[in-house]
Amino acid sequence: MKEAGHRIGRTGGGPAILLALFLGACGSKERESIQLGAPLSTAYLYGWDAERGIRLAVEEINAAGGVAVGGAVYPFEVEVIDTRDLEPGVPVDDAIKAVEKLILQKGVDFLVGGPVRSESALAVMNLLAKHEKVSIITTGVLSPKYHEAIAANYDRYKYCFRDTSDVITLGKDLMEVMGEIRAEFGLERVFIMVQDVTHARRAGEYVQELLAERGFSVVGHEVYPTGTTDFAPGLLKSRSGDAQMIFIWMDMPETAILLKQWKGLQLESLPIGFMSAAEQPGFWAASDGSAEYTVVDLINGGNAPGAITPWTSRFVAAYEARWGLEPEGYGASSSYMAVYAYKDAIERAGTLDAGAVVRALEELDLPGVYGRMRFDPRSHQIIPSTDPNEGAVGCVFQWQDGKRVVIWPECAATGELRLPPWMK
Amino acid sequence: MVEILVYGTVQSAGLLLMTFGFSLVYGISRLPNFAHGALFVFTGYAAWLLRNEARLPYWLAAALALLAAGLLGVLIYQLVLKRIRGMEMSEVIATYAIGLLILESLRWRGLRGTTFTLPVLAPGAVNLLGVPIDYQRIAVVLLGFGIVGALWILTKTTRLGLALRGVAQDEQAAMLLGIDTDLVATVAVGLGSVLAGAGALILFPLGSIVVQSGYQVLVWAIAVCVVGGLGSWAGTVVACLLLGFAQHLTAAYGKPHYQMVVMLLAIIVTLVIKPSGLLGRQKELEERV
Amino acid sequence: MSGIRRRKRIDRGIKVRSESIYVLTSLREIGYLAAPRVLLVGGLLALPLARQGSPYAGKVALSALIVALLAISFDFLANFAGLVCLGGAFFYGVGGYAAAFLNEELGLPCYLALPLAAVLGALICTLAIWPCLPLRGIYFAVVTLMYPLLATRLIEAFDVLGGTEGYMGIIGFPSETLEAYVLIVLVLAGLFGLRRFLAEDPGLVIRAVKDNDQAVKAAGIGVTWCRTKTLFIASLFGCFAGAYYAHLYGAVGISAFALDLSLLPIAATVVGGSGTLVGPLVGSLLLVPLGELLREFGGLRTAVYAAILTVVIVLRSEGLIPFLARKYAQRETWVEL
Repeated sequence: MKEAGHRIGRTGGGPAILLALFLGACGSKERESIQLGAPLSTAYLYGWDAERGIRLAVEEINAAGGVAVGGAVYPFEVEVIDTRDLEPGVPVDDAIKAVEKLILQKGVDFLVGGPVRSESALAVMNLLAKHEKVSIITTGVLSPKYHEAIAANYDRYKYCFRDTSDVITLGKDLMEVMGEIRAEFGLERVFIMVQDVTHARRAGEYVQELLAERGFSVVGHEVYPTGTTDFAPGLLKSRSGDAQMIFIWMDMPETAILLKQWKGLQLESLPIGFMSAAEQPGFWAASDGSAEYTVVDLINGGNAPGAITPWTSRFVAAYEARWGLEPEGYGASSSYMAVYAYKDAIERAGTLDAGAVVRALEELDLPGVYGRMRFDPRSHQIIPSTDPNEGAVGCVFQWQDGKRVVIWPECAATGELRLPPWMK
Repeated sequence: MVEILVYGTVQSAGLLLMTFGFSLVYGISRLPNFAHGALFVFTGYAAWLLRNEARLPYWLAAALALLAAGLLGVLIYQLVLKRIRGMEMSEVIATYAIGLLILESLRWRGLRGTTFTLPVLAPGAVNLLGVPIDYQRIAVVLLGFGIVGALWILTKTTRLGLALRGVAQDEQAAMLLGIDTDLVATVAVGLGSVLAGAGALILFPLGSIVVQSGYQVLVWAIAVCVVGGLGSWAGTVVACLLLGFAQHLTAAYGKPHYQMVVMLLAIIVTLVIKPSGLLGRQKELEERV
Repeated sequence: MSGIRRRKRIDRGIKVRSESIYVLTSLREIGYLAAPRVLLVGGLLALPLARQGSPYAGKVALSALIVALLAISFDFLANFAGLVCLGGAFFYGVGGYAAAFLNEELGLPCYLALPLAAVLGALICTLAIWPCLPLRGIYFAVVTLMYPLLATRLIEAFDVLGGTEGYMGIIGFPSETLEAYVLIVLVLAGLFGLRRFLAEDPGLVIRAVKDNDQAVKAAGIGVTWCRTKTLFIASLFGCFAGAYYAHLYGAVGISAFALDLSLLPIAATVVGGSGTLVGPLVGSLLLVPLGELLREFGGLRTAVYAAILTVVIVLRSEGLIPFLARKYAQRETWVEL
């Protein structure tokens, strides 16, 4: 039955080859290192910036000896996988499969970084609970639903942490900035433009509430699907409402188009908010200077040069030395600090056991790049503050002459806010 | 009111630029070129690469990119479509797959994340009847209707144009009269690709080059062709105006989200009620049971 | 060895005795016919064993079977009923959302939510596509391509069914073995059930509609009603796949309507062999693991599927299963005269 054997080879061949491949990959071996799995959307700023932050921290820690666990010392090792989840259409499935691959095939000990999109991170929580893997979200995920889900179902989701702010904190930060702008320049009519993803919609609703509470007038509120390329109708609406500030909350690269169209129409309004596309140092050139005067929230301190703690300047210098440019945007400092948080927690726990590391992370108290790092023991959300001695602080900058000038908080400010000349 | 008129026209002309190539190819050779959207993005990215990486002057980069698009179209016809001519479903699936192949390869090769932009023809804006409008949008309107008009005259007057029209009317009869239908189809696909590329070069300066526009352009091309009637020139223009204004109105008075919903519903409703579209001339029996 | 020998093909005898009703005369002939079937059934049933060696391989196998269901659905619609559906993801997404809705909003347990979601989802899909059923060829293909896109946009625009977040925390299966066998048994049952169905009277009518709908109409059979039934059966497969995925990963979102899910089953079908039903299954078992190996390259996966699809279509290849079946049937042995 030679032919029948041939047939086995064909029909059962795929799975059999696969099996052999993965058996080889998963063979148990002596522990040589602590594996960190980083599921990141590597094609986007938040992916590569986080990856650089993580790799930098890992290299520093390994160069200093490694992580001491119960008598032995291990180096960290990073395994990055592309989750693609920042792409249009919110491909959650890719993120789930990528994290599953990290856990099951690569056998990582801890997860750090993403998934980067709130939707994906929420979908992956079940997987983390099932495989009992500790994960610190460091970038992209801004939805309050993440830590709310942890607090509501602590026993199931206790393995999840987040060392970066959520939209509520960011909304408050930006309200402070907008309050200062109103006090100084008298701008008070706001038009809201947000992207249609969880965190952005939540931010839009929350900020609208706060604005109304504090006596600003909201002249419009638009929600755009991810991947929108034409913002002219919305901008024209803002013009007919005489908006003086445009509050933007988007993490898609197309935000650049919005700013270009804003400049093209020469609107008398100041764009302010969270725009991942406008965070990078290279953005000014890429947008032919359209970004000038835009006010951008960088979420965590240290994502642009600005002295919050002594470690901030050290971090910025080390980042520049290693990658040849200053930290580009959101995710750099928080991903960097997450690795240090793991080191601290693992050493205090004295074991790699997930439960023990969770407890150690709950007790974390680390003076870091963007202030004091402590997790809320119930919701596993980093505790925010405007004082770096109390908690994690934010960072807001404005594009001025092609440079990112930090204008808020005061302790880190490197310059003052300016209005476009045509608005005076 | 003026604003709606001005920006609705811009939107319609933009649609025309995006979709006319698709309609042209189907009209002449009955080839559904589902790689149309991919050719659109390809040209934009090629022009960007030539300008920013090879440091060519922009006019040269644009010309070379258009040439590359045309060649790619010809290659698609010669290597793929020629072998499966007449098998409609295979044509659709194969060109769709080629489109995906081009788009995903571009994404993999680096068209992602950061912003890729093309320069505008002339910077600045004017006030048109009280509505601010930038020169690039005016260029979109002029070129959009200009190109279609020029092609229309071309097909009425030149030998090649007559051959194209002949094949469009009756391929067998054209063959009998000594017209090389294969050559005509190659020219049609190449011309369609160049048109897609031209649309890209005119429209991308308004935004930035992203892979996603490839999928969007394809859906819009299908919407325009289905609503206007597959293969009808006048139908395409009418559908562009109709859908362009519909899109602008939904964005202005509804939510931006509804733009795509309007397009998709237009396709489904048209196909269900009158599959041959507003001005199509397909036979009833060919399209439904 | 002396004596005169000649070459003999084992299938000839069986074919001579009867073209389609098998009259078997020896164990060897029974073996000849049974071997491929036993292999397929046995191979699939043994798949969960792979899981013990590598949990990851087990998960990939399950993904492959999920795609296989979609591919079988595509093959059935396109090559038996003549309805080329470019939007298989629509079935998948509707099934997934139906399962999530039944489980999360109505609190139904997994063993009720899964089958109910498949049936309910299939009903919804059939109703939604029903107005387009009279369309032919390219018109039907284009319109179905739009359905998953429209579903995504509607969920986004009206912020219903969890909006862009979708549902999370859907209850999974009680055990991993059960999880695997539910899918495997249903794939096998679906595959053989569909084959049998297509050989029975209602199935013959469905195939006749593809060949010549006017003739079927002339015979006094309602073509649209017949197509409605066909569509329901096909969407049952797709919706089950989506519902199963929702329970497997505990989450479902708008990515359940993604383009990949429409394209991959088509690629699997043409690679495995169109119009064979088992071909799509084998195609999925090859393409999905290949895709997983390419996962590190992100979007390149879709590009590779697209390239494979183009090449197979351009070469007008018959596909793997028809090729193997022919080779298997042409096998010759020496016999003593």
